[in-house]
Amino acid sequence: MKNCEQYRELIFTDYIDGQLDAKMVAMVEDHLMDCSDCRLIFKELKTSAAPIKTVELQEVPSELWSRIKENIEEQPQEQNLLEEMLENLKGWLAFPKMVPVLASFLVMFLAGSVTLNTMYIQQAQAKDQGEYLVSVLTPDTSTSPEAQLGSPIESYFL
Amino acid sequence: MEELARDILVRAAQGDIQAFEEVYKSTSSFVYNVAYRVVNNREDALEVAQEVFITVHNKLKEFRFESSFKTWVYRITANAAINYAKKASRSKAVPFEESFGEVAIEADAHQLIEQQEQSHLVNKLLGELNEDQRACVVLREIQGLSYEEIAKILNINLNTVRSRLKRAREKLMSLKKSVYEKL
Repeated sequence: MKNCEQYRELIFTDYIDGQLDAKMVAMVEDHLMDCSDCRLIFKELKTSAAPIKTVELQEVPSELWSRIKENIEEQPQEQNLLEEMLENLKGWLAFPKMVPVLASFLVMFLAGSVTLNTMYIQQAQAKDQGEYLVSVLTPDTSTSPEAQLGSPIESYFL
Repeated sequence: MEELARDILVRAAQGDIQAFEEVYKSTSSFVYNVAYRVVNNREDALEVAQEVFITVHNKLKEFRFESSFKTWVYRITANAAINYAKKASRSKAVPFEESFGEVAIEADAHQLIEQQEQSHLVNKLLGELNEDQRACVVLREIQGLSYEEIAKILNINLNTVRSRLKRAREKLMSLKKSVYEKL
């Protein structure tokens, strides 16, 4: 057995909107027969909803379509072109046969890059090593006494 | 609104303006009327409806036909209108509609006045609800959508639809008398 509050939940929603099955409708209507408060509320509810339920639909102003059409035609062409290019690229990438081809190109590119990089590092190391050996084996003239004297005059007095 | 043929949507997505006009014709009444009742103002409703159709036009390429096109447009509309109304209520810059909007020219004067008064009353009543409640009431009472459709469009569960409708209706009941007195 439901109390008035539970019946009102139904009266305000499913009952007035015709969403209940026949059994529930009969239950609500039995209650409305017995309860004058709920009957009064239901009557007021119907009266207050009536103006909204029966209001005429507004005619769509004719200017709306011209405003929309103008706006669509004014949309920048660049944006459309960019969108088209992105769509084409997406479609191209989505083409299943292109996947192994792209993967092969990527592997070849990476392998080539690694090889070239290794060669460059080896060359640089060889150059550094050669310069070091030359500097070790060649006497340092800057530290010889002649070099420290600076000029022939100084050399003469000393 | 009937579901549009798939080929019309495909052509519209490819930039065919005539196909997009077909999309517009079949959805504009829903879009404009929901926007009008949620933002409560003709000029703002035009702005919201325009924003909705530009979004539909630009995003149509991404529509994958996994859900109903109608629900998709309804969701864009409800979101745009609710967000606009929330922004407007925060800035408090938008007055409720004082003019009565467009009505059928052929209606006789008496009927015209009644329609204007009713439209005015509806705007007043809806203006007293918060944006989420208002959207629920508009989708249910004016557009006649089911609870399931409202839940999908607003991305909420069925019980939230029920609780928003119940609170809105309680508020409308308490307000109606005072709003009538002010008219």
